[in-house]
Amino acid sequence: MSLRAETAPVRTTASTAPPTGGLPAGGGARRSRGRFVPYVFIGPAALLFLGFSLVPIITAIALSFQDSSTSLGDGTWVGGKNFVDMGSDPLIGTALRNTLVFTLGTVPTSMAIGLALAVALNRPLPGRSVFRALFFVPMVAAGVVVGVIMSWIFNGDYGVVNNLLEALGLGRVPWLTAPGWAMATLVVVVVWTRIGFCMVIYLGALQSVPAELKEAAAIDGASRWVRFRTITWPLLRPTTSILLILNVVFSLQAFDVIYVMTGGGPGFSTTVLIQYVFRSAFIDARMGYAAALGLVLVAILLVFTLLRQRANRKAEEML
Amino acid sequence: MPTRPSPQLARRGFLALAGISLTGALAACAGGGTTGRGGTKHIRLSTWNIPTDITSYQAIADEFVAAHPGTSVAVEVTTGQFHQWFITRLAADLAPDVIRITPQQIGRYAANGSLVDISGAVPADYRKDYSDPFWAIGARDDGVYGVFQHTDNFITYYNRDVMEQIGVTPPQALADAWTWDEFLDVAKEVKQVTGKYAFGYGWSSPETAYRWLPLVHQNGGAFLGEDGATPSMDTPEAIDALAFGRKWYAEGLATTGNLSKSGGGDVSRNLFLTGQIGMMLNNPESIAQLDTDMPDNWGTAPMIRNVGEASDLGGNALAVTKSSKHPELAAELVAMITSRSKMQQFCHDGNWLPARKSLDAKDIGYAANTDTMQRFIDQGTTIPLSMVKAESGEYFSSLNAVFADYLDLCLLGQLSPKEASNQMMEAMRSVTAS
Repeated sequence: MSLRAETAPVRTTASTAPPTGGLPAGGGARRSRGRFVPYVFIGPAALLFLGFSLVPIITAIALSFQDSSTSLGDGTWVGGKNFVDMGSDPLIGTALRNTLVFTLGTVPTSMAIGLALAVALNRPLPGRSVFRALFFVPMVAAGVVVGVIMSWIFNGDYGVVNNLLEALGLGRVPWLTAPGWAMATLVVVVVWTRIGFCMVIYLGALQSVPAELKEAAAIDGASRWVRFRTITWPLLRPTTSILLILNVVFSLQAFDVIYVMTGGGPGFSTTVLIQYVFRSAFIDARMGYAAALGLVLVAILLVFTLLRQRANRKAEEML
Repeated sequence: MPTRPSPQLARRGFLALAGISLTGALAACAGGGTTGRGGTKHIRLSTWNIPTDITSYQAIADEFVAAHPGTSVAVEVTTGQFHQWFITRLAADLAPDVIRITPQQIGRYAANGSLVDISGAVPADYRKDYSDPFWAIGARDDGVYGVFQHTDNFITYYNRDVMEQIGVTPPQALADAWTWDEFLDVAKEVKQVTGKYAFGYGWSSPETAYRWLPLVHQNGGAFLGEDGATPSMDTPEAIDALAFGRKWYAEGLATTGNLSKSGGGDVSRNLFLTGQIGMMLNNPESIAQLDTDMPDNWGTAPMIRNVGEASDLGGNALAVTKSSKHPELAAELVAMITSRSKMQQFCHDGNWLPARKSLDAKDIGYAANTDTMQRFIDQGTTIPLSMVKAESGEYFSSLNAVFADYLDLCLLGQLSPKEASNQMMEAMRSVTAS
């Protein structure tokens, strides 16, 4: 009450100053300053967006219609040639297929494990904070560092995983040197880095699920699984939707771990689209083609996001 | 209306502020300019992040500045993936004046005008002290776009205990180097002793796939034809070389964990240090770790050979970029660093092999392993000119990526040598045709 009593007059004075034409000295200047203040606050972010997002996006679009085979900025206009060339590029199909396998392998798995961990850690447990932090650490570790360490751990000849398997009397596995195993190993590593992120987001959402709903269901005799399936899971749908989109974006952009651990090999078995974009740009120096590939990647993401949002809206309408 | 200040005014103010800020930000990104207050001419030299080398370059730079009043030289570090780093800086016209660049990287930039012809600053007598292959790295028909500073190559390392157990005395003279058949015979015995594999090859990333090209040349083949541009991996010699490599893995003499695309750095060195192989074909970078982890239990022999000799082309050249505002001065700095006396000091301090043919291990005065370093210097004479021209050619970065792909598939047995050759040729042609 006392706070309201103190602040109210100040607000009233500021908002109801009489427009008499004889403004108090400094009032107009203050108002001008007041209108200017928001721009000052958004200015730095707007500049960053302008300089590091909008301009590069426009440049990339322009670049995708150029043949820039010598170096950046020296291109010649070739219309849609770069997009047409994709049709006859044998590596595109392989890269797209690998990207799909990698995405299907990483996204549902990391979300499912993240949700399971969130549910487990969303209750009083000794050392709960420590567990939460431990699961989140891989997410903040640099991808290159993770890649190098995992290359050692999964090395077929002197890696700790195979040494352990051998000690247990099991055979050695060609984790990174057989095409099928290499993709599976990458999926395992990336899932490991990502479950902490999913867990944290789900934890936040779980804490906003009304406890009284679950209590009422429990009183009505609903089992724990039924309560989760009928109350918690539907209320987590918006979070799941966002996580799904974010995880797909992460998977389509996954580069560093793959680059370090397999270099896209053995053969082409782990060459994904983003890696092919990098190769086209900086190994082959085909900047225009790489920009066109990048736009294809953006289009895939855009279509997926729109479809997901539409599906989500329909699901919400049905609730 | 006095109570409703014009929103256009605020917007204009905002835009003005944005403009001023952007200008300031861009000015801040400009890298400090190359001519400072008082007319000082600034030169930037970029090198790999090797502490000893940074110190060596800075010492030479200090001498250069003392001899050139009104100049300053800053030694910087090349960060991340080289092409990504260099292309983006060239685009922004912010590339350093002088770059340290490998023979495999220099071709594209010498061809597309990103490097400056420095022939006017390089003393005429330099050419005489370079072998044809080493001079060809930076020299083109229309000028000199880089001067080779130091080199390295591959020889054969062996585990002394293993050799004693199989009763083999490895060759010491270049002329006595193991032929492929002799090497495989020894390798089979080595595998019996280690219980794992026989030998490893010193790749360290997909970008180093080219380190296998000497095998093609040892068999009388070539990566590119005489013109330095036509793919020639479809010759019987090249296909036989691929078949020889396939045999390493098919017979279990080498592990499939040791390929150019294998992660974790130099896998062969780790295998050698852990006793899982008894020999490795590798460069001098392994010496320091071998001295530390298995002192007195390793030795060296020449690189293997077949109908011909060849070894890997390692090392770095120095070049002046088109971003330089003082290219003549930068070229003078390159000439100074690659002078005989500075090369001797640089190789001594960093344990590098000299690019000049008049310098040997005694001249350099290595702190240790003088005989081994001399072996590397001698082995450097077997690097063929045709291989150098191919590796320092315009399209080599792309061709090397193609080579990495199909060599990988062949060595793993997913493609036969003939199939690998066919598909590699097709991919190489698409690169050179573009």
